[in-house]
Amino acid sequence: MNRPLIRSQVVIDSQTVAGAAQAPSSWEGLEELYRSSRDDVYAYVFTLLRERAAAEDVTAQAFERAYRRRRTFDRRRGEERAWLFGIARNAALDELRRRRRHASLLTEPEDVDRATADEGLEVALRRTTVREALSRLPAREREVVALKFHAGLSNGELARVLGIGESAAGTMLYRAMEKLRKACHD
Amino acid sequence: MTEPSEITSALAVIDATLAGEAVEPEYAELAELSLILAATGEAPSPEFAAELDRRVERRFAPVPAGGTGQDQRDSRGRRSRWAWLFAPGAAAVGVAAIIALVVVFSGGSARNQPLVNDISSGAASRAPSAAQSSTSAASSPGSPSSTASTPSRSITPAARAGRLGLFSGGAGDASAPNTAPSPATSGRQIVQSAQLSLSTPPARIDDVAQQVFDVVAAQNGVVENSNVTSTAPYGNAQFSLSVPSANLSRTLNSLSQLHGAHVVSRSDATQDITGQVGGAGRRLAEDRALRTSLLRQLAAATTTTAVNSLKAQIRDVDASINRDLSALRTLQRKVAYSQISVTINSVALPVHPVTHGGGFTLSRALHDAGRVLVVAAGVGLIVLAALVPLGLVVALGLWLAAALRRRRREQVLDLL
Repeated sequence: MNRPLIRSQVVIDSQTVAGAAQAPSSWEGLEELYRSSRDDVYAYVFTLLRERAAAEDVTAQAFERAYRRRRTFDRRRGEERAWLFGIARNAALDELRRRRRHASLLTEPEDVDRATADEGLEVALRRTTVREALSRLPAREREVVALKFHAGLSNGELARVLGIGESAAGTMLYRAMEKLRKACHD
Repeated sequence: MTEPSEITSALAVIDATLAGEAVEPEYAELAELSLILAATGEAPSPEFAAELDRRVERRFAPVPAGGTGQDQRDSRGRRSRWAWLFAPGAAAVGVAAIIALVVVFSGGSARNQPLVNDISSGAASRAPSAAQSSTSAASSPGSPSSTASTPSRSITPAARAGRLGLFSGGAGDASAPNTAPSPATSGRQIVQSAQLSLSTPPARIDDVAQQVFDVVAAQNGVVENSNVTSTAPYGNAQFSLSVPSANLSRTLNSLSQLHGAHVVSRSDATQDITGQVGGAGRRLAEDRALRTSLLRQLAAATTTTAVNSLKAQIRDVDASINRDLSALRTLQRKVAYSQISVTINSVALPVHPVTHGGGFTLSRALHDAGRVLVVAAGVGLIVLAALVPLGLVVALGLWLAAALRRRRREQVLDLL
């Protein structure tokens, strides 16, 4: 199921509301963060893992870890969404490592290119092109794109999640977008 | 090479597009790509979303049936990881605490040991010297050896003080004998002598030496010779005293209680010379009897030869009588006057360890409480000294482990 194009706008609004509310160190704050971020976390994890079942496991795991570590949240070290996506990223990378260790299914990306009936053909075609280009990007760049467009993180939050400088994160995002743009033209 | 301004502009366009703002026509393609990317995010299935909502509602409480295998694996993995990280640290802390306790307690007793050793070794080092001085006095050419009936005695107050774990003070020295040992004479001819070794701070050596002169004068004695050397920061003095034997005991008591002086050792020696005095008296009486007899023969002599021979014999007897008288007077003088050798050394006085008698007082309780606090602070300091490096090592280990874990996580992205 694909979401409408205005999803990110909705995310940013809900993020602003969440930021003004309670911190995730309280259960209520964490619940609020869960409500505003559940779909984004799933989308980000799915982009990394490219497998629905694994993405569901890791998403649930990420929120459970966040619940257990909610008292370690420190606003001075970043916003709650950056904190949550940092946890989700670690969980996703652990899952990728586990897969490699067990030499098991590095499954082929699932066919998620299911155009809805009310979408125009042209829109569906563009989306398919972009998805294919995205899937051919290196994992690091694919992750940057997912954090930016699926998780809706600001460049500063993105940098904190990746553990790099903000300018380096911006440069990485710019290069990934350039590659995507060229791939779509090809 | 991409210009930084180009990157900044592109990032601003992306942010503006995601915020729903209009962008310049030249960035239309980037804006469209951004919107498509934002829309390509996969949404969770309604079943999964509902199940996750339920888990969040019950705050991730474990499912009675055992929960998902993933949850259990995650929990176990987390526990084992922490156990792996903290087990060596906890073991190191435990070992450090044990070592610290052993060091403190063995170190404490070891520190106490030298104190006892110092005192006892000081006493031991002084006791032989006192014994030596007694022996040398007994074996010196000028001093006849002691007889079995009147053995020489050696008294070392410092040695006694050492056994008691304290040093005697100067004035009011409780451990110094108040009376010098004096043999029962009962008509016997006894020669007495004593050696006294004192210590005093360098600044007081002149004062103490003057007190020795005063004591000798007060007891009608004579300072036969003296040598006082006072050179900062050291000094010493030696006295050879001769005092009436009747005043020997009082003289020694006074010398043992000089202000600012400290008795290091003291030895008293006696020698019975009754036989020697008796022998000298008998020889004198015999010579005198012989002289009387010769005088009678001289009075009865009739020839010049006999007279001259008798006169020569009388001269020889007179000389012998003079020698006998001299020897007898020397012996009598030895009996009448006792020799005292006094040595004063200026050394830093030892710190008197605080000793308590029995009984409980507030000041002693405060002192003991202070000691307990000092020892506790020492133990804390030692434990801290042991734990701080260990803590740093553990912190470094944790940091390295976290860095390694992060690096391994990151590596998987490069392998995809």
